[in-house]
Amino acid sequence: MALLTMRGIEKSFGSFRALKGVDFDLADGEVHALVGENGAGKSTLMKVLSGVLRPDGGAITVQDRPVTLNGVAGARDCGIVMVYQELALVPSLTVAENLFLGDLHGVVRYGPLRRRAAQLMADIGLDIDPRREVGVLSIGEQQLVEIAGALARQGRILVLDEPTAALSAAETDRLFALIERVRREGVGVVYISHRLEEVFRIADRVTVLRDGELVGTRSVPELAPGDVVRMMVGRDVRQYQRARQEDGAGVLGTFRFSADGLEAHEIELRRGEIVGLAGVVGSGRSRVAETLFGLDGTGAWNDQPIRSPREAIRRGIMLVPADRKTQGLVLELAIRNNLSLATLARISRLGVLDFRLEEAQARGWIERLSVRPPEPAKPAVELSGGNQQKIVIGKALAIEPKVLLLDEPTRGVDVGARAEIYDVIAELSAEGIGVLLSSSDTEELIGLADRILVFREGRVTAELAAPFRNEELVAHVTGAL
Amino acid sequence: MLPARFDWAGLLGRFGLVLALIALIVALSLQSDRFLTYSNIINILRQISINAIIACGMTMVIIGRGIDLSVGSLLAFTGVVGASIAVAGVSPWLAVAGALGLGLLLGVWNGAFVAYAGIAPFVVTLAGLTMYRGGALAYTDGRPISGMPELIQYLGSGNFIGLPVPIWIMLGFLLLSHFILRHTSLGRAIYAIGGNEEAARLSGLAVRRVKLFTYAYCGLGAALAAMVLTGRLNSAQPSAGVMFELDAIAAVVVGGTSLFGGRGGVFGTLVGALIIGVINNGMNILDVPSFYQQIVKGGVILTALVIERLVAMRR
Repeated sequence: MALLTMRGIEKSFGSFRALKGVDFDLADGEVHALVGENGAGKSTLMKVLSGVLRPDGGAITVQDRPVTLNGVAGARDCGIVMVYQELALVPSLTVAENLFLGDLHGVVRYGPLRRRAAQLMADIGLDIDPRREVGVLSIGEQQLVEIAGALARQGRILVLDEPTAALSAAETDRLFALIERVRREGVGVVYISHRLEEVFRIADRVTVLRDGELVGTRSVPELAPGDVVRMMVGRDVRQYQRARQEDGAGVLGTFRFSADGLEAHEIELRRGEIVGLAGVVGSGRSRVAETLFGLDGTGAWNDQPIRSPREAIRRGIMLVPADRKTQGLVLELAIRNNLSLATLARISRLGVLDFRLEEAQARGWIERLSVRPPEPAKPAVELSGGNQQKIVIGKALAIEPKVLLLDEPTRGVDVGARAEIYDVIAELSAEGIGVLLSSSDTEELIGLADRILVFREGRVTAELAAPFRNEELVAHVTGAL
Repeated sequence: MLPARFDWAGLLGRFGLVLALIALIVALSLQSDRFLTYSNIINILRQISINAIIACGMTMVIIGRGIDLSVGSLLAFTGVVGASIAVAGVSPWLAVAGALGLGLLLGVWNGAFVAYAGIAPFVVTLAGLTMYRGGALAYTDGRPISGMPELIQYLGSGNFIGLPVPIWIMLGFLLLSHFILRHTSLGRAIYAIGGNEEAARLSGLAVRRVKLFTYAYCGLGAALAAMVLTGRLNSAQPSAGVMFELDAIAAVVVGGTSLFGGRGGVFGTLVGALIIGVINNGMNILDVPSFYQQIVKGGVILTALVIERLVAMRR
């Protein structure tokens, strides 16, 4: 009997088809891994399954009964429980209260509540005191509690999205032990991960998605890691390739970094060089740029430490952060005001702003970066993701940086704007600016970088030189090599 | 192409406040012929001047996503300190300078705890509300200080080119606040920090220093209001300014400045203070008992915010 079948699932956002008729199924007690590169459609498929998104087409059955999943609550009624990367627990309540949060009515009797919680924890072999506050638990323990909570609500289908991203090796072992335990009770587990070693350790079957399409579903024992990588990457890699210049432009400087959980390393950056930083979520890759911008650990440029963003900017180092909405833009401010935010001193005299100069400079950036619509007075919130990203990049370029730190510069950016951003990055390199490009998109790194450092578990585990092969890079990143 | 529909929501959002003020004035003029007279208009402006001066500083703090609950007590404290210098017979200019300096200092104190210690502005300034009131009472032993020199009386009751001096001071402080907010890099930083503090920090703005400034400026404004009030009453009371912080916050939010920061301005605040002032004045003229006046005032503030919310949702 199939616990779950999904057939021909379709989902579009505007003109973008995120899922193109995807099939997926799950048997009782099975661990089924779902893999694919970023943007392949994994999250969209799981949002359909957990009731967050309504599919445009296709059919879903749970225990052979056709179902329509109305919202998260509807999916829960069908026994489908999703454990997100961002945990959904209340940190100030105890473990017991969190486990039964939905069933607390009227006057709560804490004795029975605690006993029920303790019983549940014992059943699944967890040694976490139900009286403890969730906020004091480690991320790994919180995740275990969340899974326990899912089981407390009679979950039959458990969806785990990158559950090990923030876990230590020991915590991962505990998680896997728990997964083994629940599968023996007949619970089906969908396991999303970028780490192939984990997939091979725990999954019975693996389904690969690419560009919203099903590449295939295979039984794990029949596969080698290299097979999965090939399925993920595909053959038809039509991709951007920057024209690289001759070497010999000279050294720009040396960047040293270290942080708690990030092994010390040194990068010598040449003039106009683009150094790619590759690695899955939690590998330490995205923290590197933060150390050089004074936000995390210790970063030093040419042997002088950088302690704050102000200091970094003063020394010609600028960050384009990963999340443009929460870190990059002041959304209610106009395009021109966002563009000038890092250079207010340059557009003012004795602290008084020169609006005409600000406007003129904004028009310059809008033209150079092809921002659409080209209206400096428009609030940034009204722009598309790609154009917002161009504003964040324009703001960074306005300080005339020597070194540019790009963190996920094209995340959530449409194809057209993406190509334009790539062109800008290539131009910057041609002008002699050194670039650290941190990205989870391996094709992006291959198309732009002169060399690529691969991060795993807080360490640089490989350094690759051009010409790159995507398969090789993906294998390094996922730990298949 | 669809015919362009008249954008009621957009119009209401931009000019709704002014329209509401005009509607109020028209309604009150119809109710009483004592309302729309030159002397009554001047009267209203003078009555709102102290609240408007405090509210200008409050606007700056709120745009930077803070709040200052200490302004009422700060007014009392700086008022009695200024008055004590004045009655001591030294230069009245020194008295004004002393009061303003103390206001600035207490504002810096508030701002330092918010910006550098990272304590929630609500809590820091709530502590200030208690401490500065205690300071005023302790300094005077609970007694008012009366008999101000001419200069200080002039600040509260004098006339300059046909208008009461408090109105001039209000207009001057309003324009200064507007200039700082809209025409300087400092003001731009305040909007940016209120709109998205993280983005402001990553853009290299001196977030802490800017926050500190907003509280210092707010303290300065409250001390200025203290001098006007002291001059008006010819006396400084340690119990002055109770609940002034709430009147100022009401003027700011009725004036369209978002409590979540990043949005708003002092002209809106002036209109907000006018709306509240006109309602107070109108109810006095119509002989509404004062207990009911409070209910009406609260109702108006709530209505203004509900309308703003509805307009914001339609946009």
